[in-house]
Amino acid sequence: MTKAAGMLHRSPRLRLALLLAAPLTWLVVAYLGSLAVLFLSGLWTTDPFTSDIVRSWTLDNFRALVTTEVYRRVALRSIGVALAVTALCVVIAFPIAFYTARVARPRWRPLLVVALLTPLWASYLVKAYAWRVMLARGGLLDWLLTPFGLDGPGYGLTATILVLTYLWLPYMILPIHAGLERVPDSLLDASADLGARTARTLRTVLLPLVLPSVAAGSVFTFSLSLGDYIAVQIVGGKTQLIGNLVYSNITLDLPLAAALGTVPVVVIVLYLLAVRRTGALSSL
Amino acid sequence: MATGNGTTAITLRGLRKSFGDVPAVDGVELDVAEGEFFSLLGPSGSGKTTVLRLIAGFETPTSGTVTLAGEDVTRRAPFERDVTTVFQDYALFPHMTVEQNIAYGLKVRGASRREQAERARAALASVRLEGFGARRPSRLSGGQRQRVALARALVVRPRVLLLDEPLGALDLKLREQMQTELKELQRDAGITFVLVTHDQAEALALSDRVAVLNAGRVEQVGTPGELYESPASAFVASFVGTSNTLTGRAAELIVGKPGTFGVRPEKIRVLDADGEHDRADHSAVHGTVADAVYLGDSTRVVVDTDAGVRFVVVRQNLDTTAADALALPGSRVLLHWHRRHNVPLSQAT
Amino acid sequence: MRANRTILTAVALGGLLLTGACGGSSDDTSDGAPGGRGFTPPKLSAPKSLGWTEGEVNLIAWAGYAEDGSNDPKVDWVTPFEKQTGCQVSTKVAGTSDEMVNLMKTGQYDAVSASGDASLRLIASGDAAPVNTGLVPNYRDVFPGLKMQPWNSVKKVAYGIPHGRGANLLMYRTDKVSPAPDSWKAVFDDASRHKGRVTAYDSPIYLADAALYLMKTRPDLGIKDPYALDQKQFDASVALLKKQNGNVGEYWSDYLKEISAFKSGDSVIGTSWQVIVNTAQAEKAPVKAVLPKEGATGWSDTWMVSAKAKHPNCAYKWLDWIVSPKVNAQVAEYFGEAPANAKACAETAAKNHCTVFHADDAAYWKQVHFWTTPIPQCLDGRTDVKCVPYAKWVQAWTEIKG
Repeated sequence: MTKAAGMLHRSPRLRLALLLAAPLTWLVVAYLGSLAVLFLSGLWTTDPFTSDIVRSWTLDNFRALVTTEVYRRVALRSIGVALAVTALCVVIAFPIAFYTARVARPRWRPLLVVALLTPLWASYLVKAYAWRVMLARGGLLDWLLTPFGLDGPGYGLTATILVLTYLWLPYMILPIHAGLERVPDSLLDASADLGARTARTLRTVLLPLVLPSVAAGSVFTFSLSLGDYIAVQIVGGKTQLIGNLVYSNITLDLPLAAALGTVPVVVIVLYLLAVRRTGALSSL
Repeated sequence: MATGNGTTAITLRGLRKSFGDVPAVDGVELDVAEGEFFSLLGPSGSGKTTVLRLIAGFETPTSGTVTLAGEDVTRRAPFERDVTTVFQDYALFPHMTVEQNIAYGLKVRGASRREQAERARAALASVRLEGFGARRPSRLSGGQRQRVALARALVVRPRVLLLDEPLGALDLKLREQMQTELKELQRDAGITFVLVTHDQAEALALSDRVAVLNAGRVEQVGTPGELYESPASAFVASFVGTSNTLTGRAAELIVGKPGTFGVRPEKIRVLDADGEHDRADHSAVHGTVADAVYLGDSTRVVVDTDAGVRFVVVRQNLDTTAADALALPGSRVLLHWHRRHNVPLSQAT
Repeated sequence: MRANRTILTAVALGGLLLTGACGGSSDDTSDGAPGGRGFTPPKLSAPKSLGWTEGEVNLIAWAGYAEDGSNDPKVDWVTPFEKQTGCQVSTKVAGTSDEMVNLMKTGQYDAVSASGDASLRLIASGDAAPVNTGLVPNYRDVFPGLKMQPWNSVKKVAYGIPHGRGANLLMYRTDKVSPAPDSWKAVFDDASRHKGRVTAYDSPIYLADAALYLMKTRPDLGIKDPYALDQKQFDASVALLKKQNGNVGEYWSDYLKEISAFKSGDSVIGTSWQVIVNTAQAEKAPVKAVLPKEGATGWSDTWMVSAKAKHPNCAYKWLDWIVSPKVNAQVAEYFGEAPANAKACAETAAKNHCTVFHADDAAYWKQVHFWTTPIPQCLDGRTDVKCVPYAKWVQAWTEIKG
């Protein structure tokens, strides 16, 4: 026993290996393994009648991804939705987080944050269906907008973006709140002191300093939006996103579903690489 | 107004600031002359930083006025005041380089790119940081950051520079060096400096005049000499340097009249108990040495006097040695000093 | 009704991919020779007689088909079965026909409630065994129109016991659609009248609805069976649906979603199921449904026995039980479909259930084309062309929705 302990003490590598063995196994086998299987099964094909997987290697599915116009269109639409949701989340989350992190009295701040997170306690489906009711013809949104001579968006792309924005907003508010809280008051004082008006201080000092937090939040909103297929089924009208395509192919044509599934993976990896340049990943 | 040119840079009248029910600044009246090096000295919680923030405009007073160069700026935002600040934590923008930090105030004021670059470089040179312009603040040492903060505040040529405990985070050697540099900078720039500090030595070393604050009020304003030699209150006497305070029966016994008096430790001589002490212009008291600490250049002697008051005396080691200091405790001594060193203090704390 | 709905939602969600429900072309019962369907099933035989029950049975079922009271204490026809036969029932609820096919391949299950497309695949792969209907006494009372159909028999050999059936109807808001429609034209050629408020079933199998419409309106295309489309017929159907897409507000696969859309008026006309119509009316939505003059698509489910069944005697007991008049009535009412057993109509709680669901309406079912899996060998018997297989339907459906 003592001997073993001594050996562990003398050999930091052994210690590290023991410490990381379990999580690494998990990471490699369960996580990377499943991604590898996903990609590999995209190289298979199916029997058209029995839907059995035929394990012969072919690039047909990936070729179809690139050459079939509808897949390209849906992929681009999905990315567009994810970007729009992310942009909306930033625009809405920033003032809210600014209030909770810098304006509200310090002792109210934790309570406000908890309040902002309460929507997360409700089931995703309940929230999505609630929005379905609100967006219905003659629903709450119509009723609110009619006095201004406007109509609600109805079900469709706009509704999807709206609901996804609502669903993922807390994931944007939280990191921005944390980022804003970390900015020392003295930096804002210093900027004003050196002659910068409030708007300029926001733009040149506060914004650059919370940009990594915004980017961190955007990783959540972007990837969650890109992977969603339920909200769009509930409020998207006839809109198809990449998640719907994966879902509708999963039992009929698993290899094609797998090939489609690699699209968001690739897009998100590219997004993460882009975000990494802002230094946001270090503040995650 | 010791070295000022006569006009007033800052005037504070009836200045009050409360946070909730707690008054932080409680009726401060001050006049700071143009070109003066002025210090706000006080213990933590005395309101000195709040006074500074009121001058800068980071806080709005509960009542009273702030006047800068004859203009009432009480309700003006920081960016509308011709004042800049060196913050305690330096508050350098971490996402900008040193040069961008320094040029920030110029940029905000719409200076041309060339002017920004030239003046930023000159400012860097003035704080002896040539070649550091491209670095991030995080790559600088504490002393270097301090200088960048100074350069950034001075480059816009403000009418008044406020310094909030700027040397507090530096080690002793660096602090002494920076004190000298600060003094020189102020002399060269001819700008009014207002320094907030809790370090009485720093305040005395740097300032033309010092305001001693206590519990949100000004206890005394004066030159370092005035404060040290004629402290107006027991608080000032004990906060600025150390002082033996005589009051009540002890005052009557030793000074010969009622009141409160302060006596500086270095003014007192320590004689043998049977030494001569009958000179009429001297005060004297017998006592027993409780402790003696050898400090190299001097020895700090603590004496329990027969008048019932404990005295601290600093004796220069002109002829005495460490061995003499060791021999002192327990011995009977006579303390005496010239009567003019009995400084009457107001009864206020 | 609530519990009922949850179950149905699950079924509807499961039916999304619609490998689900059943199949067969239908009005063409004479074409019972499945050899013409492009495959010959492996040689398997049905038992001649039953032995002792094995004490347990493992089922694969659609949600709501084997209720043991755990969803609603009042809905329980499994417990009495267990008491009566001594066969403990374990049910695996499957969401799609593909799942059913995959589960059956494991050989761990004894019986399955297969829909038309799944049933044919199970027969073709040899996973389902022929059924000796003589060992299922209640089979006698099954509606003749359900016996020996292309989706439950091959070469005059029965492969299962019919469970129940339903049709896809045309539902509309009575206050928004007038005159009352009597043709699928309302959701195809005339769909623009309700631009943005037309709804359609969200599954590739919905292509058959378009083909059915073209079968009647475009005789030049020569469509005989909406599940047997050659490339030209298929392209015409796809084109029709692409045109329809411009007028569609949303597609539905969750039946709650369709009800909410009709209640709010977001949808005013589109394909639907009888049970949805009933529920929507119960919730005071001003809707009605018709079986349009062109006929309709629909589903018909079959209980099948696994070729590898470890508990065949209990499985046969279950088959007899589930089509017995009382139980068949219960399950048909719970799920909202027409029972298979004619005598069940006397046992339903709602006396008019069989009327509402047209259980005994031969003329009605003549117009219903039950779902089946399109395969390259044309199901209508043509041999001179290749038909478009289901995989292409799936792809086309994606493209239609865009």
